[in-house]
Amino acid sequence: MFSRIRNQLIAKVITRFPSLAQRFITAYQPWQSGEPTPWTPVTKPLKECRVALVTTSGVHHKDQQPFNMQDAEGDPSYREIDGAKISNGYLITHDYYDHSDAEKDLNIIFPIDRLRELQNEGIIGSLADRHYSFMGHIDGQHIATLVGKFARQVIEKLRQDAVDVVLLTPA
Amino acid sequence: MGLVQREIEKAGIPTIGVSIVREYTEKVQPPRTVYVKWPFGHPLGEPGNVKQQRAVILEAFRVLYSAATPGEIVDLPFRWRRYDYDSYEEPGEFVPGH
Repeated sequence: MFSRIRNQLIAKVITRFPSLAQRFITAYQPWQSGEPTPWTPVTKPLKECRVALVTTSGVHHKDQQPFNMQDAEGDPSYREIDGAKISNGYLITHDYYDHSDAEKDLNIIFPIDRLRELQNEGIIGSLADRHYSFMGHIDGQHIATLVGKFARQVIEKLRQDAVDVVLLTPA
Repeated sequence: MGLVQREIEKAGIPTIGVSIVREYTEKVQPPRTVYVKWPFGHPLGEPGNVKQQRAVILEAFRVLYSAATPGEIVDLPFRWRRYDYDSYEEPGEFVPGH
Protein backbone atom coordinates (compact mmCIF):
# COMPACT_ATOMS: atom_id res chain seq x y z
CA MET A 1 0.00 0.00 0.00
CA PHE A 2 2.81 2.41 0.84
CA SER A 3 4.44 1.89 -2.55
CA ARG A 4 1.12 2.67 -4.31
CA ILE A 5 0.87 6.01 -2.49
CA ARG A 6 4.50 6.73 -3.33
CA ASN A 7 3.93 5.93 -7.04
CA GLN A 8 0.80 8.10 -7.14
CA LEU A 9 2.69 10.99 -5.55
CA ILE A 10 5.59 10.69 -7.99
CA ALA A 11 3.09 10.62 -10.88
CA LYS A 12 1.50 13.89 -9.73
CA VAL A 13 4.86 15.61 -9.31
CA ILE A 14 6.29 14.60 -12.70
CA THR A 15 3.07 15.54 -14.50
CA ARG A 16 3.26 19.04 -13.01
CA PHE A 17 7.01 19.42 -13.53
CA PRO A 18 7.89 17.83 -16.90
CA SER A 19 11.62 18.49 -16.44
CA LEU A 20 11.62 15.95 -13.60
CA ALA A 21 9.87 13.44 -15.85
CA GLN A 22 13.00 13.22 -17.98
CA ARG A 23 14.84 11.47 -15.13
CA PHE A 24 12.19 8.77 -14.96
CA ILE A 25 12.06 8.43 -18.74
CA THR A 26 15.82 7.91 -18.88
CA ALA A 27 15.75 5.41 -16.00
CA TYR A 28 13.07 3.19 -17.55
CA GLN A 29 14.05 1.03 -20.52
CA PRO A 30 11.14 -0.33 -22.54
CA TRP A 31 11.38 -3.88 -23.77
CA GLN A 32 12.54 -4.21 -27.38
CA SER A 33 11.71 -7.27 -29.43
CA GLY A 34 14.65 -6.91 -31.81
CA GLU A 35 12.37 -8.01 -34.65
CA PRO A 36 11.70 -5.89 -37.76
CA THR A 37 8.93 -3.31 -37.44
CA PRO A 38 5.68 -4.86 -38.75
CA TRP A 39 3.82 -3.10 -41.56
CA THR A 40 0.32 -3.49 -42.99
CA PRO A 41 -0.56 -0.93 -45.70
CA VAL A 42 -3.89 0.89 -45.46
CA THR A 43 -5.82 0.00 -48.58
CA LYS A 44 -9.23 1.64 -48.04
CA PRO A 45 -10.22 5.31 -47.72
CA LEU A 46 -10.89 6.29 -44.11
CA LYS A 47 -14.55 7.00 -44.89
CA GLU A 48 -14.93 3.26 -45.58
CA CYS A 49 -12.95 2.06 -42.54
CA ARG A 50 -14.25 0.73 -39.25
CA VAL A 51 -12.13 2.19 -36.45
CA ALA A 52 -11.44 0.84 -32.93
CA LEU A 53 -9.54 2.37 -30.02
CA VAL A 54 -6.87 0.65 -27.95
CA THR A 55 -5.49 2.52 -24.96
CA THR A 56 -2.86 1.86 -22.32
CA SER A 57 -4.30 4.45 -19.96
CA GLY A 58 -5.89 2.00 -17.51
CA VAL A 59 -9.47 3.24 -18.01
CA HIS A 60 -12.31 0.77 -17.42
CA HIS A 61 -16.02 0.48 -16.61
CA LYS A 62 -16.95 0.90 -12.95
CA ASP A 63 -18.22 -2.69 -12.67
CA GLN A 64 -15.01 -4.21 -14.04
CA GLN A 65 -12.16 -5.50 -11.90
CA PRO A 66 -9.51 -2.79 -11.51
CA PHE A 67 -6.02 -3.43 -12.87
CA ASN A 68 -3.63 -4.96 -10.35
CA MET A 69 -1.35 -2.15 -9.20
CA GLN A 70 0.47 -4.23 -6.58
CA ASP A 71 2.63 -6.05 -9.13
CA ALA A 72 5.80 -4.10 -9.97
CA GLU A 73 5.88 -5.80 -13.41
CA GLY A 74 2.37 -4.53 -14.16
CA ASP A 75 -0.94 -6.16 -15.06
CA PRO A 76 -0.86 -7.55 -18.63
CA SER A 77 -4.64 -8.12 -18.84
CA TYR A 78 -7.11 -5.85 -20.64
CA ARG A 79 -10.66 -4.58 -20.18
CA GLU A 80 -13.20 -4.62 -22.99
CA ILE A 81 -14.78 -1.17 -23.30
CA ASP A 82 -18.36 -0.64 -24.50
CA GLY A 83 -18.08 2.51 -26.59
CA ALA A 84 -21.75 3.38 -26.08
CA LYS A 85 -21.50 3.35 -22.27
CA ILE A 86 -18.01 4.37 -21.21
CA SER A 87 -18.62 8.14 -21.32
CA ASN A 88 -21.40 7.78 -18.73
CA GLY A 89 -19.05 6.70 -15.96
CA TYR A 90 -15.58 5.20 -15.75
CA LEU A 91 -12.64 4.52 -13.47
CA ILE A 92 -8.94 4.87 -14.15
CA THR A 93 -6.70 2.42 -12.32
CA HIS A 94 -3.14 3.54 -12.98
CA ASP A 95 -0.63 4.86 -10.43
CA TYR A 96 2.05 5.96 -12.90
CA TYR A 97 0.42 9.13 -14.20
CA ASP A 98 -1.78 11.88 -12.78
CA HIS A 99 -5.25 11.21 -14.21
CA SER A 100 -7.15 14.04 -12.52
CA ASP A 101 -7.62 15.79 -15.90
CA ALA A 102 -8.70 12.53 -17.58
CA GLU A 103 -11.32 12.16 -14.84
CA LYS A 104 -12.79 15.47 -16.02
CA ASP A 105 -12.74 14.53 -19.71
CA LEU A 106 -12.27 10.95 -20.86
CA ASN A 107 -11.45 12.13 -24.38
CA ILE A 108 -7.94 13.31 -23.48
CA ILE A 109 -6.91 9.66 -23.06
CA PHE A 110 -9.73 7.77 -24.83
CA PRO A 111 -11.25 10.01 -27.54
CA ILE A 112 -14.48 8.09 -28.01
CA ASP A 113 -16.73 11.17 -28.33
CA ARG A 114 -14.42 12.75 -30.92
CA LEU A 115 -14.41 9.55 -32.98
CA ARG A 116 -18.21 9.36 -32.83
CA GLU A 117 -18.35 12.91 -34.19
CA LEU A 118 -16.03 11.90 -37.06
CA GLN A 119 -18.30 8.94 -37.73
CA ASN A 120 -21.38 11.18 -37.79
CA GLU A 121 -19.63 13.52 -40.23
CA GLY A 122 -18.69 10.60 -42.50
CA ILE A 123 -14.94 11.15 -42.05
CA ILE A 124 -14.54 7.62 -40.69
CA GLY A 125 -16.74 4.84 -42.03
CA SER A 126 -17.88 3.51 -38.68
CA LEU A 127 -16.85 3.19 -35.08
CA ALA A 128 -16.52 -0.31 -33.61
CA ASP A 129 -18.77 -1.14 -30.65
CA ARG A 130 -15.93 -2.72 -28.63
CA HIS A 131 -12.65 -1.08 -27.67
CA TYR A 132 -9.78 -2.23 -25.42
CA SER A 133 -7.91 -0.86 -22.45
CA PHE A 134 -4.55 -1.99 -21.06
CA MET A 135 -2.48 -0.34 -18.35
CA GLY A 136 0.95 -0.20 -19.99
CA HIS A 137 4.27 -0.39 -18.09
CA ILE A 138 4.38 -4.16 -18.54
CA ASP A 139 7.71 -5.74 -17.71
CA GLY A 140 9.49 -9.04 -17.04
CA GLN A 141 7.54 -12.28 -17.40
CA HIS A 142 4.29 -10.41 -18.12
CA ILE A 143 5.54 -9.33 -21.57
CA ALA A 144 5.14 -12.89 -22.87
CA THR A 145 1.63 -13.09 -21.35
CA LEU A 146 0.69 -9.74 -22.87
CA VAL A 147 1.87 -10.71 -26.37
CA GLY A 148 1.00 -14.41 -26.34
CA LYS A 149 -2.34 -14.28 -24.58
CA PHE A 150 -4.06 -10.93 -24.12
CA ALA A 151 -2.95 -9.13 -27.30
CA ARG A 152 -3.95 -12.24 -29.24
CA GLN A 153 -7.44 -12.19 -27.69
CA VAL A 154 -7.87 -8.53 -28.59
CA ILE A 155 -6.75 -9.19 -32.17
CA GLU A 156 -9.31 -11.99 -32.46
CA LYS A 157 -12.09 -9.64 -31.30
CA LEU A 158 -10.93 -6.90 -33.69
CA ARG A 159 -11.18 -9.43 -36.52
CA GLN A 160 -14.65 -10.58 -35.41
CA ASP A 161 -15.77 -6.95 -35.53
CA ALA A 162 -14.16 -6.42 -38.99
CA VAL A 163 -12.04 -3.52 -37.70
CA ASP A 164 -9.93 -1.90 -40.46
CA VAL A 165 -7.90 0.62 -38.46
CA VAL A 166 -6.81 0.85 -34.81
CA LEU A 167 -5.95 4.14 -33.10
CA LEU A 168 -3.78 3.69 -30.00
CA THR A 169 -3.54 6.17 -27.15
CA PRO A 170 -1.11 6.05 -24.20
CA ALA A 171 -1.19 8.04 -20.98
CA MET B 1 1.70 0.65 -25.87
CA GLY B 2 3.98 0.26 -28.85
CA LEU B 3 4.28 -3.45 -28.15
CA VAL B 4 0.51 -4.00 -28.48
CA GLN B 5 0.48 -1.77 -31.58
CA ARG B 6 3.16 -3.92 -33.20
CA GLU B 7 1.19 -7.10 -32.52
CA ILE B 8 -2.02 -5.68 -34.04
CA GLU B 9 -0.15 -4.48 -37.13
CA LYS B 10 1.61 -7.83 -37.44
CA ALA B 11 -1.82 -9.50 -37.42
CA GLY B 12 -2.76 -7.50 -40.53
CA ILE B 13 -4.65 -4.50 -39.15
CA PRO B 14 -3.09 -1.07 -39.88
CA THR B 15 -2.41 1.03 -36.77
CA ILE B 16 -1.56 4.59 -35.80
CA GLY B 17 -0.35 5.51 -32.31
CA VAL B 18 -0.10 8.75 -30.36
CA SER B 19 3.13 9.12 -28.33
CA ILE B 20 4.02 11.43 -25.48
CA VAL B 21 7.47 9.93 -24.84
CA ARG B 22 9.54 10.02 -28.02
CA GLU B 23 12.46 8.10 -26.49
CA TYR B 24 10.30 5.03 -25.82
CA THR B 25 8.69 5.15 -29.24
CA GLU B 26 12.11 5.29 -30.92
CA LYS B 27 13.15 2.16 -29.01
CA VAL B 28 9.95 0.13 -29.33
CA GLN B 29 9.47 1.02 -33.02
CA PRO B 30 5.73 0.81 -33.57
CA PRO B 31 4.81 1.09 -37.28
CA ARG B 32 3.41 4.69 -37.34
CA THR B 33 3.33 7.37 -34.64
CA VAL B 34 2.41 11.00 -34.10
CA TYR B 35 4.33 12.59 -31.24
CA VAL B 36 3.22 15.44 -29.00
CA LYS B 37 5.57 16.96 -26.40
CA TRP B 38 2.85 17.18 -23.78
CA PRO B 39 2.53 16.17 -20.10
CA PHE B 40 1.81 12.58 -19.10
CA GLY B 41 -1.87 11.75 -19.03
CA HIS B 42 -2.72 14.19 -21.86
CA PRO B 43 -2.11 12.45 -25.22
CA LEU B 44 -5.12 14.22 -26.79
CA GLY B 45 -4.64 17.47 -24.88
CA GLU B 46 -6.63 19.38 -22.30
CA PRO B 47 -10.05 18.53 -20.83
CA GLY B 48 -12.86 20.21 -22.74
CA ASN B 49 -10.65 21.37 -25.62
CA VAL B 50 -12.61 19.71 -28.42
CA LYS B 51 -10.73 21.42 -31.28
CA GLN B 52 -7.39 20.33 -29.85
CA GLN B 53 -8.46 16.71 -29.37
CA ARG B 54 -9.91 16.62 -32.87
CA ALA B 55 -6.74 18.08 -34.40
CA VAL B 56 -4.57 15.35 -32.85
CA ILE B 57 -6.89 12.62 -34.15
CA LEU B 58 -7.04 14.09 -37.65
CA GLU B 59 -3.25 14.43 -37.76
CA ALA B 60 -2.97 10.82 -36.61
CA PHE B 61 -5.21 9.70 -39.48
CA ARG B 62 -3.26 11.88 -41.90
CA VAL B 63 -0.05 10.10 -40.90
CA LEU B 64 -1.81 6.72 -41.13
CA TYR B 65 -2.09 7.42 -44.86
CA SER B 66 1.11 9.40 -45.46
CA ALA B 67 3.66 7.28 -43.57
CA ALA B 68 5.80 5.25 -45.96
CA THR B 69 8.51 3.85 -43.70
CA PRO B 70 7.94 1.34 -40.86
CA GLY B 71 8.73 3.05 -37.55
CA GLU B 72 7.94 6.56 -38.81
CA ILE B 73 7.41 9.19 -36.07
CA VAL B 74 5.88 12.54 -37.03
CA ASP B 75 6.31 15.44 -34.58
CA LEU B 76 3.09 17.44 -34.45
CA PRO B 77 3.46 21.25 -34.39
CA PHE B 78 1.04 21.70 -31.47
CA ARG B 79 2.91 23.42 -28.63
CA TRP B 80 1.35 22.86 -25.21
CA ARG B 81 -1.07 25.71 -24.50
CA ARG B 82 0.61 27.79 -27.23
CA TYR B 83 -1.23 26.78 -30.36
CA ASP B 84 -4.29 28.43 -31.87
CA TYR B 85 -6.49 25.53 -32.98
CA ASP B 86 -8.73 27.91 -34.94
CA SER B 87 -5.80 28.23 -37.36
CA TYR B 88 -5.53 24.45 -37.83
CA GLU B 89 -6.43 23.34 -41.36
CA GLU B 90 -8.06 19.93 -41.45
CA PRO B 91 -6.84 17.47 -44.09
CA GLY B 92 -9.20 17.28 -47.05
CA GLU B 93 -9.37 13.54 -47.52
CA PHE B 94 -7.83 10.39 -46.11
CA VAL B 95 -7.12 8.01 -48.96
CA PRO B 96 -4.34 5.52 -49.80
CA GLY B 97 -1.49 6.82 -51.90
CA HIS B 98 -1.33 10.28 -50.28
